This record gives sequence, C-alpha cells and structure tokens, in this order.
Amino acid sequence: MNSKIKGSTIVEVVISMVVIVTVFGIAMMILSNVLRFSLSAKKLRAQAILWEVMLKTEQTKDNTAQTFTIDDFRVEQEAKTYNDNANLIEIHLVAYDRNQQKVSELQKIIVNTND
Amino acid sequence: MVKASALYIVIIIALVIGVLCSALIVEAYFYKMQYQKKFRYEALQNNLSSGINILLNTGDTSYLYEKTFSLFNGTADSVSLKKIPWGLYDIGIVEAFIQRDTIYKTFSFANTVDSAKWAALYIIDEDRLLSLSGKTTIRGDAYIPKTGVKAAYVDNRAYQGDKRLIIGHTHFSEKKLPDLFSGRLDQLNSMYAEPHENDSALFKKDTIRQSFLLSTRFINFKKQVQTIKNINLNGNIVLLSDTAIIIDSSAVLNNILIFAKSISVKTGFHGTCQLFATDSIAVDHNCRFNYPSCLGVLRFSKVNATATQAKIVIGANCNIEGTIFTYEKTETALKPMIDLAKYVKIKGQVYSQGILKLKDSVEVDGSIFSSRFLYQSSLTLFENYLINIRIDSKALSPYYLTGDLLPVASKNKKILQWLEAN
Repeated sequence: MNSKIKGSTIVEVVISMVVIVTVFGIAMMILSNVLRFSLSAKKLRAQAILWEVMLKTEQTKDNTAQTFTIDDFRVEQEAKTYNDNANLIEIHLVAYDRNQQKVSELQKIIVNTND
Repeated sequence: MVKASALYIVIIIALVIGVLCSALIVEAYFYKMQYQKKFRYEALQNNLSSGINILLNTGDTSYLYEKTFSLFNGTADSVSLKKIPWGLYDIGIVEAFIQRDTIYKTFSFANTVDSAKWAALYIIDEDRLLSLSGKTTIRGDAYIPKTGVKAAYVDNRAYQGDKRLIIGHTHFSEKKLPDLFSGRLDQLNSMYAEPHENDSALFKKDTIRQSFLLSTRFINFKKQVQTIKNINLNGNIVLLSDTAIIIDSSAVLNNILIFAKSISVKTGFHGTCQLFATDSIAVDHNCRFNYPSCLGVLRFSKVNATATQAKIVIGANCNIEGTIFTYEKTETALKPMIDLAKYVKIKGQVYSQGILKLKDSVEVDGSIFSSRFLYQSSLTLFENYLINIRIDSKALSPYYLTGDLLPVASKNKKILQWLEAN
C-alpha cells in the first residue's frame, strides 16, 4: 500500500484526447471509403443471376425478348440476329434493382437452334 | 510507483488502430483485385464462348486469316478468330482478351451426321445382286441396287444372319456414289500443289510439339524415301514427300498430317493422324489409328495406262477409328481399291469410289459407301458378296462427327476435340 499513482496533467489529457479523436476520425474515414468502394453484394448477386439466366437461355433455346423478375431484380432479355447470320443470336441481359437502376449486364452470342 | 502516462497509452492505441486500418485497406484492395480478376476471367470465358459459336456457325472463308474484332462494339469484348483446314476437319483458334489478360482455346471441329443421308451401306446400282453369306449382319438403313439382296451359299457356308437380311430400311441406290465435297478436295489438292516452306531442322530432336497458335511447320522430304521412327510429332505439323514415307511403330504421331505418293505403316503402330497418298497406303497388321484419323488415297491428275492401281491395304487385326476413302478425279479402268484383311475393325466410315475388298470377320461400326464389293476365296473371286461381315451403323457413337468431305455431313458443326487451352 506504499505505491503511489501519479496523475496525468491536464495538458497530457488534452493532447491525448486530441490525438485519439484524430486517429478515430481517420479510421472512420478509411472504413467508410473501404465500404463505399468495395463491391456491393447486390451487384454480385445480380451478376450471378444473369449468368444463370444466360445458361438457361442457352439450354432451353428460348431466344425471345422478355422481361422477368428474379429475387429483387427485374431482368430484361433482348435477342437479335448477330451480323445477319441467322445461325447466331446475340443475347443481351440487363438486371435492374427496385429503383430501376441498372446493376449489371451480360452479352453473349449463342447458336440459334429455332431454325 | 505507477505512472498515469495518458499520452503513451493513446499513442499505443493509435498505433493499433493504424495497423487495423492498414489491414482493412490491404484486405479491401486484394479482395477487389481478385474479384476484378475473376470478373474479367468470366467475361473472357463468355467472349471466348461467343467466339467459338461464331467460328462454328460461319460457313464462309473469312476466318482463314486471323481476324480480330470487337464482339459487341464495347471496350472489353475483343476476340481473335482463325480457322485452319486440317485434313478432313478444321482447326479453330479463338482468343479473347481484355487489357493484358488473354485466354485462348484451340480445337478441331467437324460436321454432325445428316440422318437423312446416313446409311450403314450404300452400294451403287450396277444391275448386280448383293449377296449375303455366312454370319453377315447389316444393321441400319441401306441403299442397294434395284436387283435387290439375297442370301447365298458360298464356300460351303449358308447365310446364318438375321432373316430380314438388312435390319433397317432399304432404298434403291443410284448408278454413282454421292459425290465428295469438291471444296475439301481442292483444299487437300492444294497441299500437294502449293510450295511450302521447308523446316528441315526438325529431325534433330526426338519430340516436336507445335502449337496451333503458331504457324504450321512443314517438313518436305522431297524425293527422298524417309522412315519416321523414334520420334514424337504432335500438333501443327505437316510431313510432305514426293515419294514414299514409312512410319515405324516407334513413331508417336498425334494430330499431324502426312501427304506423300505412298505411305507404309509398320506393324504395331499406334497413333492419331491423317494420311493422304496419291498412289497407295499400306498398313501392316496390328496397327491402331485412334479417332479422328483418316486414310485417303486421292488422284487429282489423270494417270497414264501403265500407272499402278490406287489402293489402301489394311492388314489383319487393325483398328481404325475415323475415315478411309479413295478418290479418283478421272475414272480409270483400274479402279481404286480398299483391301481390308481379316479381323479389321473400323469405327467410322469407308468410302470406296472403286472396289472394296473384304475378308472374313471384318467389322464396321459405321457406314460403307462402295461401288463394288470383292471377296476372294482360295479359288474364286466373288463380286458383290458379303461373307462374314458385320456392318452396324447403330453401334457408332452418337457423338461421332464426320468431315464435310463425305456426302453424309450435315451443315451443323460441332467441336470434335479440345486441343489447347490456358
């Protein structure tokens, strides 16, 4: 019980508070930037959905223009003949979110087997 | 005595926060980099697949020279396409690139079989009966002469096969075989006619592998008879000779082409290659040609009366997966001949513009198109007799693809074999 505790001076405490607030401020800025510029889960999900739709279109040979909703996305499918070659169809898929903002798109040339 | 030291503690906390923030930045950077890489790779795969579809479904000659273009007029959809005629088949080279990332695939492709033209047997109508004897089986559609088909008693053997004689639909054949595709014949002829840069340094190595992304390596032996032995030749290589080429069983050939006057294949050879000769191809017994191989004798120029008969002779117990054909531009009295010895097994097609000589126990899983059959016993020569032969078009794989040279090819092209990729 002989030990003594030396208290910090008011100057030390003020400087410490300034430093800690600055450091926390910078850290928060970095964190918000990292979160803002990292890939959104929404975009990843939209891309995965478009890949799945493209795969199905190739398998089912459903080469018509159509719109459908998957999860929270509205997917628009456009189909047109590629370079006037009747054997080839260009499929253009676009995924929109609830706010009708374009999230992702995918284009591919597939074989037209409707002939 | 314990010091309060608020400043020290704050500095340590600030350092810890700094390290955590740095880790967060680095992690986010690498995650983004890796995801972008994956995204670019998926986009490249998508473009590559589109390029392959374009190459398979464009019939014109526009891709015989490498063509680089943007698929959808965007910034990240460039592809480079090229088609190389490779014997009976074609080689496709597709590259897709975004910035510095490139992926490529090389593959061979061929035509699907047109079921309307496909037949197990096509024998032209020369007003001769087709006679079956012994344990002969013909399964699949057949084009036969109007005189018909009958069971026959030959060499003390009666017909022991199916009572229907032909297990499938029968149609009447024409007086002439359906023609081979002239475009492919011209392309094969050009290999003999056009001069090629000679790469004589090749035989200083024991293994030569030439990628289809590079230019073709031509090795021209000119008038020197050459034996190919103790060497592994793979890929984009063409061997040419004005005289004979002998292929030893120690040679390993994979997807190469050989053009010569005559070609001799020694006993026990195994490989995948396409052989084209103007005079003859002789294959000794126990050889195996894997799919897709081809043995073809082609005569484009008119030959004089003293010229030897164009022929393909296949020795006993050989297995051939692919195509065997003979072609003569100007018909001669001595018709080209394909001679199949005992126990020869063929998975694919035989197209004989002249005579097809068969011995006992020949099996063909696929089809035979011939002008005439010949069977030789010890004493007698029989014309248009099939004795102990099995022709089964249903036994051929449904994935079998044919070259567009043959008259059963449809317009649809599919990938035959993946050759190279990264």
